[in-house]
Amino acid sequence: MKVTATKKREWLIAYTLILPAFLVYLIFRIYPVFYGFFLSLQDWDGFSAMRFIGFGNYREAFNDKIFLLSLGHNVIYAIFTVIGKNILGFILALFLTRKTIKLMPLWRTIFFIPVVVSTVAFGIIWSWLLNASFGLVNEMLRAIGLSVLARSWLSDPKVVLLTLIMVDIAKWTGYHTVIYIAGLQSLPSELFEAAYIDGARSFQVVRFITLPLLLPIIGINILTSLIGGFSVFDLVFILTGGGPLHASEVIMTRMYSVAFQFHRVGYGTAMTFIMFIVVFILSVIQLRLTQRRSYEF
Amino acid sequence: MNFRTKTFLFDVLSYVFLGFGAIVVVYPLVWMVEASFKQGAEFYVSPWGLPQRLVLENYRFAWQRGELLLGFFNSITVTCTSVVFICILAFLASYAFARMEFPGREIIYYSFLLSMIIPAQIQILPLFVILKNLNAINRLSGLIIAHTSGGIAFSIFLLRAFLSAIPKELEEAAYIEGCSRYKVLTTIILPLSKPGLSTVIIFQGMGVWNDFFTSLILANAPKVRTLPLRIYFFMTQYVIDWSYVFATLTIVALPVIVLYLILQTQFISGLTAGALKG
Repeated sequence: MKVTATKKREWLIAYTLILPAFLVYLIFRIYPVFYGFFLSLQDWDGFSAMRFIGFGNYREAFNDKIFLLSLGHNVIYAIFTVIGKNILGFILALFLTRKTIKLMPLWRTIFFIPVVVSTVAFGIIWSWLLNASFGLVNEMLRAIGLSVLARSWLSDPKVVLLTLIMVDIAKWTGYHTVIYIAGLQSLPSELFEAAYIDGARSFQVVRFITLPLLLPIIGINILTSLIGGFSVFDLVFILTGGGPLHASEVIMTRMYSVAFQFHRVGYGTAMTFIMFIVVFILSVIQLRLTQRRSYEF
Repeated sequence: MNFRTKTFLFDVLSYVFLGFGAIVVVYPLVWMVEASFKQGAEFYVSPWGLPQRLVLENYRFAWQRGELLLGFFNSITVTCTSVVFICILAFLASYAFARMEFPGREIIYYSFLLSMIIPAQIQILPLFVILKNLNAINRLSGLIIAHTSGGIAFSIFLLRAFLSAIPKELEEAAYIEGCSRYKVLTTIILPLSKPGLSTVIIFQGMGVWNDFFTSLILANAPKVRTLPLRIYFFMTQYVIDWSYVFATLTIVALPVIVLYLILQTQFISGLTAGALKG
C-alpha cells in the first residue's frame, strides 16, 4: 500500500496535536509510577545515597505491626463505607425517583452539597459536631435520654474508626445517589408497569427487577467506593491524624509519617504499592462478579 | 390495604427519610455560618444557640491571620492555570483521537487510559522526588505540573467521547466550502464542544480547588499554601478559638456552595461524568 503525501501530512498533524499532552502525561504521570517501583526497592532517606535492598521494604511491611494494623483498618473502612454508601445511596435514589414526592429538584440539590464542599471544611465541621464535651451529637444523645451512648467519638480507640466511617459515608453518599438516580431513570418503565399489573409487590419489584438490571451501575458504585476506602487520607488526617495510638491509622496516613517524619522514602513507596496491588485484585474480582450478566432493552 | 393508602404510607416514609438526611447534610453548614459570628466565650457557653449579636471581628481576624487573601490568590492561580492547561492539551489530543486516522491511534489512546486504573496515591512520593530535583517543591509551578499531568488522561477520555458524537457532516461541509483545518477546529468544533469542556472544567476545577493531599505533600510552605491547607493549618494553630476557625471555613466554603447552587445541573453532571460515561 502506498502512502500518499497528504496522508503523511495528516499523520504528522495528528501526532503534533497529541504530542504535548502525551509528553506531560508520560513524564509526570507514567514515569513516576516506574520510578516509584524503583524507589520501593531502595533503602533511602531522601538525602543520602540510595541502597538497593530488593524486596526488603515489602518484607518489612509484612512484619510491621503498625502497617498490618493500618491495612486491617483499610479493609474494615472499605467494607463498611462500601456497604453504607451504597445501601443509603440506593434507598435515597429510590425515594428521589418517586413521582409523588414534592419539591424534587430541591431534595436532589441538598443531598449533593457535601460532595461539593472540600473535605477539609467538611472534616473540621464534623470534628466539632463530634466533640466529646460540646459536640451536637453527644448533646442530642443526652437530650433524647441516650446519654449512655455519648462518647469521645474521635479519641476513644474503640469507636474512632467507626466514627470516621460514618463521616465518610455522610460526605460521599450524595455522589452515589446521583449515579443510582441516573441508573434508575435509564430503566424502561414498561417493565415495572408490567410487573405491578402481574401483582408483584414493591419489594419484589426492587429485588427481582430493579437490582438485577442495575447491576452494572451497582458495580461502578462499589468500585469507586472501594478504591476510596483503601486510598483514604484527607478525612483521617484531618479528624484524627491516625490516632489515638494508631487506632485509626490507615495506609496513606502511615505512609505520610513514614516518608515525611521518619524520612524513609523507599519504605513509604513500597506501602503505596502494596495498597495498589490489594485494590487492583479486589477491583478485578468485583468487576467479574457484577459484569457477569448484562441486559439489553 | 389498598393501593392509595400504600402510596401514602410510602410517601410519608420517604419524607421522613429525606427530611432526616437533609438535616444531617444542611444543619452543620448552617451552624458553621452561625458559629462564625459568635464571640469567643459565647461560643463555649451556647455553641448551639443563635448568636446574640453578629461579631464581624471574627472575619477580620480570620482574613488577616489566616492570610486568606494569599490563599485565594494561590488557589485561583493553581486552579485556573491547571484547568487551562488541561483543557488545551486534552482538547487538541482528543480532536486527533476522535477525528483523524493515523497509525497507532488505538495504542496511544489506550496508553492514556492506562493511568485511570493506577491511583494517584502511588505516584506522589516519586513525583515529590522528581519535582524536588527540578526545584519545584513548595512552588505553585510544581503543584500546577502535578494537577495538569494528573488530569489529562481522564479529560481526554471525556472529550474524545464528546467530540466523536459531533456529526461529521458539519466539518465536511466546511471543508467543501474551502475552510482550513484550523478554521474548522476553531469555528465549528470548539463552539460545539463547549458542554464537553464545561464538564472537564468543573470536574478538574473542583478536584484542584478542593485538593488537600497533593498540596500538603508538594507545597505546604506558608507562602504557597492553597485554601484547603490554609484552613487546616489555621485550625491546628487556633484550635481554642473556634469562632475564628468557623469564620475561615465560611469564607472558604460559602463561595463554592453558592456557585454550586447557581450551576447545580452542570456541577452534578460534571462531577459524576466519569462514573456515568465509563
